[in-house]
Amino acid sequence: MIKSIDILNYLSENNFELSTGVPCSYFKELFIELDKSAVIQYIAATREDEAVGIACGYYLGKKNCFLIMQNSGLATIGDAFTSLAQLYEIPLLIFVSYRGLEPDKTFPEHVIMGKVTESVLEAYGIPYWNMKGENWREILDEALEHMNKDSSVVCILVEKEVII
Amino acid sequence: MRGEEVIASLKEFISDDTLIVSSNGNVSRQTYNFLPQPQVYLRGSMGLPMSIGLGLALAQPEKQVLVITGDGNFLMGLSSMTTIGYYKTDNLKIIILDNEIYATTGGQETVSSTVDYLKLLEGLGIQHYGSLNSIRSPSKLHEAFKILLTSKQTAVLHINVEEDIENLENIPWQPKEIKNKFMKNI
Repeated sequence: MIKSIDILNYLSENNFELSTGVPCSYFKELFIELDKSAVIQYIAATREDEAVGIACGYYLGKKNCFLIMQNSGLATIGDAFTSLAQLYEIPLLIFVSYRGLEPDKTFPEHVIMGKVTESVLEAYGIPYWNMKGENWREILDEALEHMNKDSSVVCILVEKEVII
Repeated sequence: MRGEEVIASLKEFISDDTLIVSSNGNVSRQTYNFLPQPQVYLRGSMGLPMSIGLGLALAQPEKQVLVITGDGNFLMGLSSMTTIGYYKTDNLKIIILDNEIYATTGGQETVSSTVDYLKLLEGLGIQHYGSLNSIRSPSKLHEAFKILLTSKQTAVLHINVEEDIENLENIPWQPKEIKNKFMKNI
């Protein structure tokens, strides 16, 4: 398990000053910490593609913004990836909750997206990491290195109860 | 007055401290051809110019950010206007060029004619807004530009325009080149 405050401190040390996205309950604690943060502002977008637009505009203004969303959002933002972030080679770090990993009768709406999440990212050509356990800093280091080297979109998949 | 004439007449109101985000299609091509370069010329991401403008305005609070968008693009990104109404980023200005058609794709009708823009913008919590139904004289347009660009708050100007006569050629710069030139110039 990873403490929300540790992730925010890590991101702040890596020059992220803004965040945007659409909430997921897997990130509930992270949002509580973001709300308290004096160094990283959060902009509540109405849609995930809007969040990509905000983050890309922020980057064009020479500052760094990360994104937070549910994996359902990956199905909403295809064109924002392919005709904006990827087309203009704008680096983006996106935290994506990995819902629907197991058959879930209470939340059937996540099951299909859960099955295709990694295929969707592979189809977009977006590298991704499943962040869990104590080596999370190494995973984020690697993802950021990749993002900066290739000016690319990178995704961090986050399963249930990984971020507390 | 046509959309391209409105964009061309913005020239004398644009300073070095104005950063423009122009929507995909004719609007970005006209911005490229008629206004100082470089600016953000969008090739795709329909519906996102206002969001990109918001991000840019947050990153560059000392600069003025001007989004120029057509009505089809604006309506696709309508929900992003609620975010803009909420966060009230003072250095963000938006011009909606409303010809009631998707001109770049052959003139198919949009549903824009049903919208009362003054009521919409007021309802979105936009602090400063205006609408020009028809432009009979350049001086009326110039006055509206001045009000928009000197506003100390988030401001939106909606303008009904006539259809352009023809589509311009695509912008010769590749997207990565647009990004690099724009960022180098800030």
